[in-house]
Amino acid sequence: MDAADFVNLLVSALLLAGIYAAMSVGMTIIYGVMKIVNLAHAGFLMLGAYYVLELHERLNIDPLVGSVLAFPVFLLAGMLVHWTLVKRIPVSDQPTLASLLLMFGLWLVLQNIGYLIWGSSDRSILTSRTLSSMHLGPITIPTVRVIVFIPAVCSLGLLEFVLRKTWYGRAVRALMQNRYAGRLAGIPVEKMARLTFGVGIGFAGAAGGLLAQLYSFSPDFGHGFLLRSFVIIVLGGLESFWGAAAGALVLALVETFSILVLPAGYQPAIAFSLLVLALVLLPGGIAGIFAKKHRWA
Amino acid sequence: MAEALLRVEALDAAYDAVQVVWGLNLQVQAGTVTSLIGSNGAGKTTTMNVIAGTLPARRGEIIFRGEDITTKPPDLRVGMRLSLIPEQRQLWPRMTVEENLLLGAFPRRLRGKAKENLKNIYEMFPRLGERRKQYAGTLSGGEQQMCAIGRGLMAEPLLLMLDEPSLGLAPMLVDEIFHYVRVIAARGVTILLAAQNANYALQFSDYCYVMESGRIALEGRSEKLRCDHHVRRAYMGAAS
Ligand SMILES: Nc1ncnc2c1ncn2[C@@H]1O[C@H](COP(=O)(O)OP(=O)(O)OP(=O)(O)O)[C@@H](O)[C@H]1O
Ligand SMILES: [Mg+2]
Repeated sequence: MDAADFVNLLVSALLLAGIYAAMSVGMTIIYGVMKIVNLAHAGFLMLGAYYVLELHERLNIDPLVGSVLAFPVFLLAGMLVHWTLVKRIPVSDQPTLASLLLMFGLWLVLQNIGYLIWGSSDRSILTSRTLSSMHLGPITIPTVRVIVFIPAVCSLGLLEFVLRKTWYGRAVRALMQNRYAGRLAGIPVEKMARLTFGVGIGFAGAAGGLLAQLYSFSPDFGHGFLLRSFVIIVLGGLESFWGAAAGALVLALVETFSILVLPAGYQPAIAFSLLVLALVLLPGGIAGIFAKKHRWA
Repeated sequence: MAEALLRVEALDAAYDAVQVVWGLNLQVQAGTVTSLIGSNGAGKTTTMNVIAGTLPARRGEIIFRGEDITTKPPDLRVGMRLSLIPEQRQLWPRMTVEENLLLGAFPRRLRGKAKENLKNIYEMFPRLGERRKQYAGTLSGGEQQMCAIGRGLMAEPLLLMLDEPSLGLAPMLVDEIFHYVRVIAARGVTILLAAQNANYALQFSDYCYVMESGRIALEGRSEKLRCDHHVRRAYMGAAS
């Protein structure tokens, strides 16, 4: 492999990491605040993809704009799901079987709604960008990857800002670290949970729209991405955003560079192997490594 | 006597099937310091959590400012200016001291005044001001307690409940923390203080309840209880 190939792979890994991070962040925030592993995440990724497809085909709305438009719609849908279903399961500081079953069931329902409406054939979103590529010296990048990377990273930056600087964001971080203290400080936990569930689903919908510009999809879409999100979150230590970004980067690098040594058919096994490795070697995730060096109680 | 600021009546509290507080009656008069003493596992923390609303009452009533708050969620109680500074401080370790304090003013009514109140807290606890950008998890035990007290004060409570504020602190720091509690009381905040160490609590409070295995065993004016034979032997380390 020469240097240009290497740089090419590195750039595509970085671009991939951006979308991976945006894809997993919805799951991270929901887990952090509610300790619920949102297995239905994949279902909302899939719905996000079809939402953007429909907007594109019926109203000729650019899929990038469609992805941005997905956020508020899925946010409201998420809040509705919380209000009707999620709030009924007992609050816990640990993931509970009840919450896993509920989210898994919801995923199945969403999937079947998908089959009912769109059938089982593969769809994809084609625009003028889809087949074009950019050349920067020796590096060649598919344009659409860059176009998708930018909003992904912007949305993460925006989320980070909200988490640092707003009352809502600080309360989210507080609930992640100590829910009991949050209640004592007067944070209305159920309202916060509803809003956060909405934000998490909003991110899932938007990320689904972004992914739909890169991959073809069917109502079964999201399987592989659910597993990847899971790996990223576990690598990231489950409730840290920088950790999740680092996890996304690690996964993207490993996946991208593995094509040098592994046949494409083994690709799906990579995420799974990383998951097992992370669970065995890094119970605190990447953030856990740094935490040990500081005196974080 | 005027209507008490806080009145707890016939309160039962339980963790799932295990009942740990039985028929507790308690009153806190406005402008006073009331203490709740009792040994390990007597039920002080449980009682305070029920009053704060983080643990539901099994039976009984909690009346605060003349209003029945028994089933109100904790955030509404904070909104009514009832705050608990919990046992073990319960800070957010990976947030800065300033963020910890600011979140004490989360209820909407308080947000406008948060900056000003923050300044007052830093005046009261200069050490927190010096460490404002530091993660709360990196503070010493005494500083963590100050931060927890500061966070509670950000909500401008009328009634401040303190659960073992001296827990795990060196004797010198215990004095310092109680000095601050005295300052807060002098500003007119009503205080309900839970402690294992009866010496401090009795010196410090106007009225005292003694809890034993989930029930009020004894109550009275603190100066009287200080001379009580049973209290001296059981809680003040006096020889029998
Ligand atoms: N989360 C819990 N689940 C079950 N039982 C509990 C729980 N917390 C406390 N208990 C039990 O309730 C009883 C009262 O405990 P509590 O913490 O209220 O006592 P305390 O007076 O605050 O004691 P200490 O002085 O040690 O803080 C104890 O027997 C304790 O074991
Ligand atoms: Mg206690």
